[in-house]
Amino acid sequence: MESGAPAALSESRDPPAARQGIWEGFTRFLSRREVLPLLLLLPVLIFFIVWNLIPTLWLLGLGFYRFSLTSGRPPRFAGLYNYRTILNDAGIWFDLSRTFIFVFCAVVTETLLGVALGLLFWNSHRLPGRRIALTMLFAPMVLTPVAAGTFWRLIYDPTFGVLNYVIRSLGFPSVDFLGNGNVAFEAVLAVDVWMWTPFMVLMTLAALASVPKAELEAAEIDRLAWHQKLWLIVLHHGKFILMLGILLRTIDAFKTMDLIYDMTYGGPGSTTQLVAMTLYRRAFEAFNMGSSSALAVILLLISIAFTATFIFVLHWRERREASP
Amino acid sequence: MVALPEKRLVLPRRTLLTGAAALGATALCTPNIARAQSTHPLSGQSIHMSILGISGWLPSSLGVDMSPDFAKYVKDKYNYDVTFSFAGAPFGQLFQKAATSLATKSQEYNIIISDSQWLGALATPKWIIKLNDIIAKDPALDIEWYAPVVRAAYQVYPDGTDSLYGLPQVGDIEGIFIRKDWLEAPGEADAYKAKYGTPMPQTWEDFEKMDLDDWKKLVAFFNRPEKGYYGIAMQYSREYDGCSCPLISFIRSMGGDIWDPKTGQVEGIMDTPTNAKAMELYKSMLQWNPPGATNYFIAEVIDAFTQGKVFAAWQWVATGATMVPDALKGKVMVVPPPGFKDASGKLNRNYIIGGQPWVINAFNDDAHMQVALDFMRWWYLPETAADYLKRGGLPCDKATLSSPGFDDIYPWNRTYKYMLQRSTDFWHDPRYAEMLATQQEGWTGYMTGELKDPAQVLKYIACKQQGILYDEGTANNAPSGSCSGIRL
Repeated sequence: MESGAPAALSESRDPPAARQGIWEGFTRFLSRREVLPLLLLLPVLIFFIVWNLIPTLWLLGLGFYRFSLTSGRPPRFAGLYNYRTILNDAGIWFDLSRTFIFVFCAVVTETLLGVALGLLFWNSHRLPGRRIALTMLFAPMVLTPVAAGTFWRLIYDPTFGVLNYVIRSLGFPSVDFLGNGNVAFEAVLAVDVWMWTPFMVLMTLAALASVPKAELEAAEIDRLAWHQKLWLIVLHHGKFILMLGILLRTIDAFKTMDLIYDMTYGGPGSTTQLVAMTLYRRAFEAFNMGSSSALAVILLLISIAFTATFIFVLHWRERREASP
Repeated sequence: MVALPEKRLVLPRRTLLTGAAALGATALCTPNIARAQSTHPLSGQSIHMSILGISGWLPSSLGVDMSPDFAKYVKDKYNYDVTFSFAGAPFGQLFQKAATSLATKSQEYNIIISDSQWLGALATPKWIIKLNDIIAKDPALDIEWYAPVVRAAYQVYPDGTDSLYGLPQVGDIEGIFIRKDWLEAPGEADAYKAKYGTPMPQTWEDFEKMDLDDWKKLVAFFNRPEKGYYGIAMQYSREYDGCSCPLISFIRSMGGDIWDPKTGQVEGIMDTPTNAKAMELYKSMLQWNPPGATNYFIAEVIDAFTQGKVFAAWQWVATGATMVPDALKGKVMVVPPPGFKDASGKLNRNYIIGGQPWVINAFNDDAHMQVALDFMRWWYLPETAADYLKRGGLPCDKATLSSPGFDDIYPWNRTYKYMLQRSTDFWHDPRYAEMLATQQEGWTGYMTGELKDPAQVLKYIACKQQGILYDEGTANNAPSGSCSGIRL
């Protein structure tokens, strides 16, 4: 050490052996194969636990209590009371059946239309106006459901609506699309199809983009018919993305509430009352937190069942080929 | 040094006495004002208050529109500054907005304009303050109301007790807005008489004597779809209490009811032949409504009337300023809705009361609570009530409603006063939302034709509501055995 130099200053220039050891140990720890990925995932995991897992567990627990925010009473443990009440409520079974019909019709229609439109736009890069057409096609998908519901409620209006204006111009009487129980369900379904078919178009285009060009060229050389190309090559490669799209749409359609709330409020009568609307009313009109939590858990289990079913169907062929 | 002669100030005696009197008067007043300003707990402070009310509803927003006057009042009287903001939601969503905030014990909304049905739902979890002690200590808030229903509807919970939780912000009743210019158009009166053999009603007094059959004739007469307009617009919507309010008015005016508030009994009261008849009558009015009327709530009726699509509109009179825009001024009369003849031939009117009370957030801190109470005191000053009335609001105090010229200020005022004495509320129960949802589902299902049998609908509603009230502990009796498995 130079004479006159303060001891602390000279110590700070050269880290002591202890600090060097800790730093080396830390960098060695980080460079272990499994550690860095885990650390990078940690923020997402924390987010998932705090905003997803804990609320879900809370929901699960609340379903076993009788608790209404407006009762002034604390939550009372009631075991399976809420679940029994829900499962014995004929109204909820009707709402569920109506929801399944809605989901089936919406998803099938959107898938068929979406695949057809996707195939139409496939390999159409040289088509004039393709970009504009695609932008317009995707526009309904980016609208908020409330805005879409409001537009369509006005379009459907029997007195002021443009649709009835066209109908009357053709010499037919006005149709009360949202007030007539015979057509209200279909009217709401049509809006859902209008909004979400572009999503299936998108998924179809993504699925088609995943098809290897070499196989398509080979199919051309082998002069396969269009339906053979579609079945043997396109769907074979694109089925995962397509099934993912169908799964996402199924779960989303099952949760439809905002369109109903905006357009018909579940009416006329209960013609368009879907189960998500029932859940909303139970939670945010009646403030019956116990019962609505139980219903939410039941709906979650149904969504999980959907997912499991889709995955099973998706991998069915591989399992069949793999089994002896 | 020469001594200067003393100069003496000589004032006339009168001047001296006058000055002394002025000083004495100032001395009497100034300490009181100064004492009030300095002793008020908020003296020197600046407070911001938030009011939650119904968006697009004039009486709701008037509280904030008039707040600069309140700010001046408290600055002069108590030496503190206050500013206001207004948060709103449509009727159907307002309770959710209030409840989700109050459930977290927030003072986000210091004063809430509540619908009268919500008193139980807000008071039971102690989200709003009880006003009995406050009113007892403050004569300014112990007001003589125009009709007993004002206290019962806007202040009391539980029903039939003396516990007070609200103060009326706006009174409201159902009236019928009609196109007076169509009534007075040349040839119409003669054509009406030729068709029905009776003279066409022309004056308010004529309409007061009309029953439902008379009204049916009138709206049928003006129902001209080939010309693009219809007889009447009424509310049938499933949203909030759209269909329930006018239908309950029919039920009660015909001698029926929907429950017994003392026992919580619904079965046997809701599901009666009288109520089934009321449902049929209310549905029969649809033939003179514009297409799509099964979805009509307040806004749709306003649209239909202001756009000249209907001769008459069954509507809450608090919407008066919106129902009668400048283009229709002088062309509209507001009259009582129809009476219903009883067995003796007497005309009965027992209609649903609308309107909203002020309620005060129980989680306000001391400063905001003080301002809220000062605001209430100011709100019920005679000059404030007069200003409120002039701007289109509907006060409920006897003094304002009995003042000379009240009836002539706006075309709906006379009907408002008249119907206030002939109106009652429905439940204030904490589970009103579930009760209402059940009722709305059944009744709108019948009105839209989805359900055919009114008796079956009423049985369903009665069973469900009996179950809700029994579960809550309000009803003494559980639903009867015949309710098992019932569905629409």
